[in-house]
Parts: sequence; C-alpha cells; structure tokens
Amino acid sequence: MTAAVAVRDLHKRFGTLEVLRGVSLEAAEGEVISIIGASGSGKSTLLRCIPLLEVPDSGEIEIGGEAIRLRHRNGHAEPADRGQVNRIRSTLGFVFQSFNLWAHMTVLQNVIEAPVHVQKRPRAEAVAEAEAILEKVGLADKRDSYPAHLSGGQQQRTAIARALAMRPRALLFDEPTSALDPELVGEVLRVIRGLAEEGRTMLIVTHEMAFAAEVSNRAIFLDAGRIGEQGPPGQIFADPVTERCRAFVMRHLNR
Amino acid sequence: MASYLRLIGFGPTGWGDQLLLAALMTLSVSAAAYATGLVFGTLGAWGKLSGSVAARRAAEFYTTVVRGIPELLVIYLFYFGGSQGLTALARLLGQSGFWGLNAFMVGTLAVGIVAGAYQTEVLRGAYLAVPAGEIEAARAVGMGRLLMLRRILFPRVLRFALPGMGNVWQQVLKESALISVTGLAEILREIHIGAGSTDRPFDFYITGFMLYLLLTTFSGFVFRGAEGWSLKGERQVVGMRA
Amino acid sequence: MHPLFLADTMVKLLAGVPLTLELTFISVGLGACLAVLLAVLRASVAIGAWLVRLYVFALRGTPLLLQIFLIYYGLGQFAFVRHGLLWPFLRQPFWCAILALTLNTAAYGSEIIRGGLQSVPPGAIEAARVSGMSGILLYRRIILPLAIRQALPAYGNELVAMVKATSLASIVTLMEISGIAYAIISETYRALEVFICAGALYLLINFLLSRAVAALEAWLTPHLRRAGA
Repeated sequence: MTAAVAVRDLHKRFGTLEVLRGVSLEAAEGEVISIIGASGSGKSTLLRCIPLLEVPDSGEIEIGGEAIRLRHRNGHAEPADRGQVNRIRSTLGFVFQSFNLWAHMTVLQNVIEAPVHVQKRPRAEAVAEAEAILEKVGLADKRDSYPAHLSGGQQQRTAIARALAMRPRALLFDEPTSALDPELVGEVLRVIRGLAEEGRTMLIVTHEMAFAAEVSNRAIFLDAGRIGEQGPPGQIFADPVTERCRAFVMRHLNR
Repeated sequence: MASYLRLIGFGPTGWGDQLLLAALMTLSVSAAAYATGLVFGTLGAWGKLSGSVAARRAAEFYTTVVRGIPELLVIYLFYFGGSQGLTALARLLGQSGFWGLNAFMVGTLAVGIVAGAYQTEVLRGAYLAVPAGEIEAARAVGMGRLLMLRRILFPRVLRFALPGMGNVWQQVLKESALISVTGLAEILREIHIGAGSTDRPFDFYITGFMLYLLLTTFSGFVFRGAEGWSLKGERQVVGMRA
Repeated sequence: MHPLFLADTMVKLLAGVPLTLELTFISVGLGACLAVLLAVLRASVAIGAWLVRLYVFALRGTPLLLQIFLIYYGLGQFAFVRHGLLWPFLRQPFWCAILALTLNTAAYGSEIIRGGLQSVPPGAIEAARVSGMSGILLYRRIILPLAIRQALPAYGNELVAMVKATSLASIVTLMEISGIAYAIISETYRALEVFICAGALYLLINFLLSRAVAALEAWLTPHLRRAGA
C-alpha cells in the first residue's frame, strides 16, 4: 500500500551545520507518528521538509506516492515545479508552533482562505464546512473574532481548524503546544487527540511525552540528525533499547 | 558630450564658475538656516518639555502650524513682509528709516523657522530617549547643572538626535532651492537662468540634479560618520536574518 | 489687520482649493500605485532592486522644484519629446506638475511600503506558503494587506507633505492656493494677512485629511483595536 507520507535518506545542512544526516521514514494511512528528540536534533527541520518549507540537500519526498521533483543547481537544491509544490502543499495540513494566523482576518476568514483561494472551492461550501470544523474544535462562537483578541490556546485551535479545512491527507504538527501557557496546553491536546481517534494520518513533533505515548501508534527518537530509535510508544517511552533514547526520555518524562 | 562639458566647464563660455559660486551660496544659506533652525528647535523643545502650560501650548502651536503650511508661503511672508515688519519693529523701538531684509536673510529666517519646527520634535524625542537614570547619577555625584548639561546631557541627547538632525539637514539643503524665488544666487536660480539663456535647458537641470545629489550624498556620509562616532560604547545589535 | 480684507482674501483663496486638491489626489493616487510596483520590484529581482534604489536616491536627494523645472522647462529641449505623442500633455504646466509630483511621491511612498513589507510577520507568509499560496495570490491576499495596514500612518504623513508640495505648482503658473496668494500679495503687499489666510486654509485641509486617514486606519485595523471595542 502506498504510504501517505514517505521520506528517504534526507540530508540537510545550514551553512556548516549538518542538521539531517540521512533520515528515512514512512507513515501509512491512518498512522499517528510522534517525533521526539533534543533541541537541535533536527525534528522540526525533518517535519518542515515534507511540505518543502525547507528544501533538503538530497533525498526524496513522496506524498501519497507522488514524488516531489527537485532540481540541483549551483550546489543547492530547489523545487523543479512550483505548481506541483503548491498543489501538494494544499493536500497537507501544517500547524506551526507559533500559530501564524493571518492577523488581518477573522477566525472564519483564516479558515476559509486556502479552501477558497487555493483550492478554488465555492465560498458558501467552504464557509459551511469551516463552521462545522470550528464547532468541532470548540470555537464556533469566535468565528468573527480577530486572532489578536484570542488566547494562545484559541489561536492554536484556529490554526488546527485552518489546516483541517483543506481536507488534508495528512496533518503535520510542529511542536503545537510549546508556545502555550501550561493551562492552555490541555485544550489543544484534546483537539489533537480527537483527530487521532478519527483515524487521520498525523506526524507530531512534540515535547509532550505523556501525550505522545498515549496518542501515537509509533514514536521516533531523532538524535543529532539521525533516527536514534523507533518503535511502539510502549517501547520508546517506557523501555527504550538504546542508551541515548533512555537518557533523553528519563530527563523529560520526569518534568 | 564635449559641448556639455564646455557648457558647464570653466572656460570662457562655461557656466562652471557661476555654478561653483552658486553651490557655495546654497551651502552658506543652508548652514545659516540650519543654525537658525537649531536655535528655534532648542527653544521649541525646551518649551514642549517645560512645566509651564503656556510654554507647552506656544511650542505646540509653533510646531503644528509651521509643519502644516507650505514652506513657500513662509518664504513669501518674509520676502514681501519681512522688510515691512522689520521697519515697523524698528519704528516701535524709536528708529526711523527703512530696515530691509536681503535675500540671504529672508532665506535663512524662512527656512530656519520651518526647520526649527522639525528640530523641536527631533530634540524633544532625543531628550526623552536618554535614560533618566543617567541624569540621576550625574546629580547624585554632585554635578552642577551647567556641568551636567555639558558632560552628560549634551552628548547623550546628541547621540539620539543625530539621525533626525541629519534628516533635517537634508531637508534644509533641498528647501534652499525654494529661496531662488527671492532672487538669491543659489544653485537652482543659476541653473534656471542658464537654462533660460541657452537652448540646452535639460542639460542645465540635469547638472543641477547632480550638484544637489553630490551635496546630499556627501552630507549623508558626514552624518553617518558622526552617528558612528556617537554610538561608541554601545553594544552593536547583530543584524537579524530577514 | 482688516477683517474685510481677510474675508475677501479668503474668498479669493478658496477658488484655488479645487486645484490644490486635484493636484494632491491625482499625484498621490498615481504615485501610490507606482510606489507599490517599485516596492515589489525592489523585493523581487536583484537588478530591479538596484534600479529602484537609484530612482529613490535621485528623487529624494534633489529638490522637488528642480524636478518640476526639469520636466516643464527641460524636456522641451528634445525634438523627440516635442514631436512625440505626449507633447500635448507635457507642454501644459498642469500635467508637468502632476508628473513631477507623482514621480516624487512614488519615491517616498516606495520606501514607506518597503517598510510595511518588511514588517509582515514571516510566520504569516510561511503559513500562506504551506497552504499552497505563492506568487501574486500570496501578495494579494496576505503580504500587501498586512504591509499596507502597517504603512498607513506613514503614508498619511506623506499625504500631508504632498498637499504642501502642490504649492510649488504655483511657480509654473498654476493658480492653486499659493498661486492666488502670490498674486494678491504682489498686488497689495499685505503679506502677513494673506499668509494668515492661506496658512489657515492649508492647516484646515491638512487637519481634515489627517482625520480621514486616522478613520481609514481605524476601519482597516479592527484587529489592532482593544478586544470588545
């Protein structure tokens, strides 16, 4: 069966710093994968490579079996086909650590923006769907509010709604709760858990170990740009095989 | 090209010497106006920062009015009314006869008063930017007012004021061109006369362009150098990647 | 200070208001469009950036009056201009003034918009890209709306500056407010009274325009108002 998301042998360096040293992973349809690791281990970079927010120096990226065409020029890589990149991006949902909502638009406008202007769906249909999604994340009453007037947790839930509105084949979360005050983390995790229970394909980069253990089918420990260990959450979080994974989990689970 | 050089060069038919003198005139009247502006600006800033409501209102009136009126009108006021006003003032003080304002003085006063309104804001902002703690420390070590003014306040205010002061200078340089309506022999007037007296007006105006660009560019260098000097001792913020 | 003279002068000066406003709004309108193009050009291609910087440098480093003279008196030197399509316009002081004012305000405007473009949060742009937006769509829906909102206050100042700049059109014979003021002064020599009337008129116009810009800002930025306002 074709994997929903597959990356093969990704390498990426920033200047002299090599951040990804040959990472491969495959996410099957409906699989929830959590990616953990220390700061600088490359986990955000790995996630950002998938919708090509970062362009890997070498390696392959396949979304739903379709390989993103890359071109190598002057020693650096770039997408060969902008149209393909935009199309593929519109089939993925990306949730940023710092929400990145569009400040000049209301919650509803944020959610329908890409469906209407990128996916060219009729506005009425997009609005109806958006309102259903906002209902699901608990923000139905905030549809006409501006991001500046929302709490961090509400903004992140809006961002999740925005990603969902694109009917994505996979959801990518880049440390979704790291920028939130502790008491707001719960409401966002609740939404993410609900999505996992729906059977969506999700890749979650996170520091929330307990949550990752509970929600994911598979966990990947990234260590200095390489996959240090991967396996079922029961193994990674409770009884890691490798020493480095064990040390990392011990340090973070006791917070 | 050769004929152009003959036109603006220093030969017998060349306008080079007039243009050089005109450039010097532009610089002098600008310098005089700038100095005038500094005086008015200091008074204005002092007024705006003072405790007296009357002083604040007066300074507020000055800056609002002057910044909302075209500079050309101010020049007309002094050009047509300056001599009248001065003579009337003199008569009040018991002096008879005609007291006139020549073109240089008209330009200096008009552009100076306008520049002063902008300098007021620059100096006021700069003063407010000096951390209050530095003034307190000076008082705490027993510095007298004059000493504190000279050693602490002045250099610190200057550091914050320099960028704005540089902008006002550029403004004054360009506004000096308006003084040409009074007949003062600065750059624009000479260029305009030259343009009218030959069949090559465009060449003259382009030359004028280059002369002003030379002046503003050189001024830019000088002020940036001064800013660099004034920033000594401060931590440099590393440029952020966009 | 004769009240009758003041009143009479005021009436005469009011006749110049339409032309002042015409010159202002046409040049600011055209200039703003040009400014957006310049700002976008500067941000896209390397050679574009160099050209725009040269343009801004030339127009901000020289007096506006010189620019007006160059266009009105200088262009006529060239045969191809005199025989060209645009000559019916370029020989008229009104269009020369509009051209000079437009080019000038576009230079300042492009810097203001450039500042606005730089202020757009990179995160907002990333979020748009990751949703599949790029190119013109990205500019139109995300970058320009945010940049323009940020640039509004500074552009309001530019509008006021342009109202004052239109006074220079009087030097090439246009009878806007300053042109009429000059005519009255040179007839009557009552400089102070005419100055007060003309000054008051400009102040009124600038005050009303500043208010209008502030209202526009408030309308466009509900997201910056306090919650529940």
